[in-house]
This record gives sequence, structure tokens and C-alpha cells, in this order.
Amino acid sequence: MAKKPEKQAEEESGEFADFLADVSKEIAQRVESLDKRATPAATEKKKTPIVADAGIIVEWPNVADRMIEEIR
Amino acid sequence: MSVVNYGTREITCKIVYYGPGRSGKTTNLQHVYSQLPEERKGKMVSLATETDRTLFFDFLPLDLGTISGFATRFQLYTVPGQVYYAATRKLVLQGVDGVVFVADSQSRQLAENIESLQDLHANLADEGLDPRTIPLVMQYNKRDLPAAEISSVDALDEILNFRGVPHYSAAAISGKGVFETLRSISTLVLARLSAPAAKGS
Repeated sequence: MAKKPEKQAEEESGEFADFLADVSKEIAQRVESLDKRATPAATEKKKTPIVADAGIIVEWPNVADRMIEEIR
Repeated sequence: MSVVNYGTREITCKIVYYGPGRSGKTTNLQHVYSQLPEERKGKMVSLATETDRTLFFDFLPLDLGTISGFATRFQLYTVPGQVYYAATRKLVLQGVDGVVFVADSQSRQLAENIESLQDLHANLADEGLDPRTIPLVMQYNKRDLPAAEISSVDALDEILNFRGVPHYSAAAISGKGVFETLRSISTLVLARLSAPAAKGS
């Protein structure tokens, strides 16, 4: 994902190009780490409700959330 | 101010150059502006008096393009250094993400440096920002002046840099140290990208 800014930096020269390259690298790292952190939370929300026993759904709030989401 | 907005895929950083009058804040921005490629040169807004003192503030928008899918913009501001523009300095500090304190290395300006630093801390606190944690970089400017006229970097650091933040020697008039300072404050600000902004906050 960081390829585009690197290319931009190559096309430019001087102090600004160095600055842009450094900032691009920093942002790429940050965005990557934020994405990693954001992904588990997002998937957790859509987890299948835990079934304690056959046919008995114990996590009604989650089910209700999913139903509302699907209706939307 | 939101630093990263996942909703709109934007990163916006507001960096304020603070310091006493005539320490070289505007000169820093002018050097950055002079190094921008033509196609990236927007407008540097600068309001100066007849004697070239900053009257209101300087504003230099830096559009860095799309980086890792985020439209990235840096906004560089200066404040007027003179004591009587306190209200303007407070206004400019609103929503700040990082501060560059431009100190004048001249020995006779030491009191002004201290006064300006105290003013910065007071104004940050008024804005609800913690002066002990906000990203800050010290720049000791005018290092090109004769040695007899300037304080040593160690002396300045001991008096002004009690937080032990990164510090840079500079001669902004020739561009020395300008981008090193900007790079440093940018890194500190970006390091604070911690949580995705949920809904445009």
C-alpha cells in the first residue's frame, strides 16, 4: 500500500522529497498496525451466537444486533 | 482536532510553530514553502506588518497526497510572537496536534524564550491540552550568528527543554535544520495515531 507515496517521493527531489518519504513510511506503519487492531474487533462483532445447548441461544443481545443489521 | 479519520480516509495534522517574536517561525515556513515542488505549492497565507513582523499568523497547507489510502494533509501555522497578541496565539493553538518551539539562540533573548515557553504552557492548558504530553520539538534557531552572541545548545537545552524532547540546531534563514525539525514533529504527531476515529471525530 505504501508503494504509491514512495513513487511520488522518487519523482520529487530535495528536502521535501526526503520528508515525504519519511512521513509516508511512518503513516504506512501506523495504518498497518491500526488495521491489525481494528480487524479482530470487527470480526468479533459478527461472531455466531454461542449456543450452550442445542436450540438455546444464550446471547440474545448479539442476535438482536445481527437481526437489526440484516434488516438494514 | 482529529488526526486520523477512518470514515473519510483522511489524516490531518495541525502543527504550530511557537516562540518569541523574531525567533524565526515565519522563516521556517518560508523555507518549507520554498522547497515545495511547483505542483504542490498551494498558498502560504502570511499577514505581516510594514516591518515584516507577523501580524496575525502564517498558514501553510501541505497536501502530501494519498498515503496508504489516506488523503494526508499537514497544516503548518505560526503565531505572532509579540506579547500583546495573546488572544491570537490562543486561537491558533485550538486543535493543535504538535508544537515546534522556535527559540532564539541569542543570549540576550533568553528571557523572551522563557516567557514565550511559559505562555505556551498556559495557553495549552487553557485549551485543555496537557503541556507535558503534547508532541513538542525544540528548535534552537540562529546558530549561524557569532558564537559570542549565542547561548550554547547545552545551556538552552537545560533551561528550556525540561521535558527532554527532541531538539535541533537551526539556521532557518539558510534552511539548516528546518526539515529535520519538521520531520521530527511529524513523526511524534503520527506516533499518536492510536485509535480509528469512529464517526468523523
